[in-house]
Amino acid sequence: MRRTFFKSATAAVVAITTLGFGTTVAAQDAAEFYKDNVIKWIVPYDPGGGYDEYSRIIIPYFEKYSGARVDIVNLPGSGGMKGAVEIFNSPADGLTVGIINGSAMVTNQLAEIEGATYKVGDYNYLGRMVADKRVMVASKISGITSFEDLMNNGTTEIVGATGLGGSTYVDAVITGEVLAIDQRVVHGFDRSGDIRTAMLRGDVQTMWGSLGSALSGIEDGDLKIILHGEKVATGMLEGIPSIYDIAMTMDDGEKRVKILESWEALSAVGRPVAAPPGIPEERLAFVREAFAQAMNDPEFVASSLESDRELSFATGEDMSRIAKSATELEPDVTELFVKAIRGEI
Amino acid sequence: MTIFEGMASGFFQSTSLAVFPYLFAGSIFGLMIGVIPGLSGHFAMAMAVTFLYTMEPAAGIAFILAAHATVAQGGGLTAILFSTPGTGQNAATLLDGPPMRDKGEAGIAVGAAMASCFLGATFGAIVLALLIPVLREVVLFFGPPEVFVLAFLALTFVAVLGKEDMTRSLIAALLGMLLAMVGVDNVTNTFRFTMGSERLADGLQLVPVILGLFAVAEMIDLWVRGGTLAKDVPTALSAKETQKQIFKGIGLAFKNWWLVMRCSAIGTGMGLIPGLGSAPAAFVAYGHAKQSSPDRDTFGKGNVKGVIGPEAANDAVEGGALASTLAFGIPGSSSMAILLSGLFILGLETGPRMLNQNVDIVFVMIFTIIFGNLLGTIIGMFLVNPLSRATSIRASVMVPVLLSVIATGAFAGERAIFDIGIAIVFGILGYAMKVLNYSRAALLIGFVLGFAVEKNLYLALLLDGPLFIMQPIPLGLMTVTIVFLGWNIYTIYRDRKRVIPK
Repeated sequence: MRRTFFKSATAAVVAITTLGFGTTVAAQDAAEFYKDNVIKWIVPYDPGGGYDEYSRIIIPYFEKYSGARVDIVNLPGSGGMKGAVEIFNSPADGLTVGIINGSAMVTNQLAEIEGATYKVGDYNYLGRMVADKRVMVASKISGITSFEDLMNNGTTEIVGATGLGGSTYVDAVITGEVLAIDQRVVHGFDRSGDIRTAMLRGDVQTMWGSLGSALSGIEDGDLKIILHGEKVATGMLEGIPSIYDIAMTMDDGEKRVKILESWEALSAVGRPVAAPPGIPEERLAFVREAFAQAMNDPEFVASSLESDRELSFATGEDMSRIAKSATELEPDVTELFVKAIRGEI
Repeated sequence: MTIFEGMASGFFQSTSLAVFPYLFAGSIFGLMIGVIPGLSGHFAMAMAVTFLYTMEPAAGIAFILAAHATVAQGGGLTAILFSTPGTGQNAATLLDGPPMRDKGEAGIAVGAAMASCFLGATFGAIVLALLIPVLREVVLFFGPPEVFVLAFLALTFVAVLGKEDMTRSLIAALLGMLLAMVGVDNVTNTFRFTMGSERLADGLQLVPVILGLFAVAEMIDLWVRGGTLAKDVPTALSAKETQKQIFKGIGLAFKNWWLVMRCSAIGTGMGLIPGLGSAPAAFVAYGHAKQSSPDRDTFGKGNVKGVIGPEAANDAVEGGALASTLAFGIPGSSSMAILLSGLFILGLETGPRMLNQNVDIVFVMIFTIIFGNLLGTIIGMFLVNPLSRATSIRASVMVPVLLSVIATGAFAGERAIFDIGIAIVFGILGYAMKVLNYSRAALLIGFVLGFAVEKNLYLALLLDGPLFIMQPIPLGLMTVTIVFLGWNIYTIYRDRKRVIPK
């Protein structure tokens, strides 16, 4: 009995001390705060996915520069929304961060999908790890070798897509609308891998996706990139027409380009690392700095380069601007996107 | 590298000192995950993949794949001993495993299950090896129309499972399909049967549903009935007796080699089809074992063939499931998606480049599946004795212990308290079904295949129009389905007529 009493007394003392620290902590040096503290890093998908992988490769470097220990928590559900909501609603003490699927979170927010209770523009961003380059690929057996081919062969091509609102779907519908492509979008595939199988079988001729995920199919000779969404082509996209060049040659080119720029703003949100709103400023500044150092660590950059993992770092401040501009589209453009996300086009 | 060089290299790599310890560790890890109800192969892989970052390719592959391969073995063990399927693919084992335990033949059932797992896995791995030259063609054979009709064919096996009462089985199967519809529809973004719950928007998770239907229901039954888990066995079997039974069981699996081969073929075949998963394969194999047996009346009452069939099939699935992952780098299931990213972490390419340049790695996988299951069988044999003693512990002690294990299992997959609730709700439903003699297996198979049927029907209709059913392969398969169903209905009426005059 006595022992129990002492135990609870000690616990109470510890609790009071900790609480006391809590109030003075804001004044403490942020570096001191993070040193040997534990940061929870939420990954809104299962282990093994791209988001999980990116998190696991950056974390050792983030630990190095922040001095904190970082624990990964996988929280899959609602297409990444569950994790994003969890980050948004977690305590604003700077000890919970996470990687989010920025573009999908923006589209869900715009279309007011049930459960999208976060505000993409209100997160505190540490920075962005990567933004996908979007490409349109055609299967080898479709016989389509270029975008010109696709437009002039006189047949209605079938474009494969995953669920409504998924990026493969939004990309296909928006670009189809802007470029007036003669196409039929078939959605309902479980994952982009299923679309690729359908392309190999000849059920589907083309699809939109990230350059990274198309890479292996291209190297195997099963797929060919026929169009891309970059204004300036670099690397393996050189020599392939850009969607902007095509839009400019059409009537009302500028209007089309405006829609495409909004579309690009969506993909620019990419995969950012986010923290909830309301974090004390000096802590935010500290983790932003630590994240920037981690992303620019020569060893990290070299290892990413070696394993073909694309990186496109944006600072936390830039990321906040990108996120805000992606959610503040012009009304007519917003309407078009919402229609696309809801499958009304 | 030719296939034979690859095979030799794969064999020596997987038995080398640099790899074998990882293979060994992986199989123990997988076996443990399998024994814990609710933790599946998917979970084992997800945990194992985080270790890969510092491993060599061959060692890493041996580790994750061995962990995945032995899960079904561990799951079979608990299915037989505690009526609690460790994973979804062991649900079919519940039909005859626990009745054998009640007869005091737990050792035989476990021995037969373990040996069948090993034989099935070996069969699947060998078929995969033989298919390497034509792997791409085989995988591309199945499009949405074919998968839809095949899923439908698998559903009709429900009719065989509950032949005693087909109407009730059909009701249960259709209820299962209905439950599969819960959640946000991927195609239209419509919320179906979510009743405003955000948790339900992701649909019902397979693991808590299975745990509820079978494990929780069994606990309620045990609590109501009292006594011990093994009904008619008042005292635990002696260690010596158990050991004797295990060897007898292993012998029985080998004696029924032809059944093992056929059920393994069913498993491998269904593994090749993307999106069907291993639970239906085990049920279809069970249906086949029952259908083809002269003593089919004793199925469901503790026939060892009812254990051999599904256990052979659910391990043979692995070989088939690996095929599309290897041939195209396109995963056929969530476990395979994790494997694929594991390969990526290890710096390995999949698809044709792996088949051409790294065929030795493919053989490391094949030998891992074989050795992993062999190890699982041997280690599992040592686990039987202590575990089987627990089946003689009285209900008032056993029920709370097992229930807390089940609750942990239901929670672990998604870390959601909500899923414990799902397990309880389905536990009550499962108990009611048990008392009222509705087939829980039928409900489960409807639930599992519901996704595949709906998605592929939708895609087939969009891609090929309503006449997709008239294409040669779907038409052929549909004919088989109808003939199969018709034959069963005919035999039911025939048997009924025979019985009535008496």
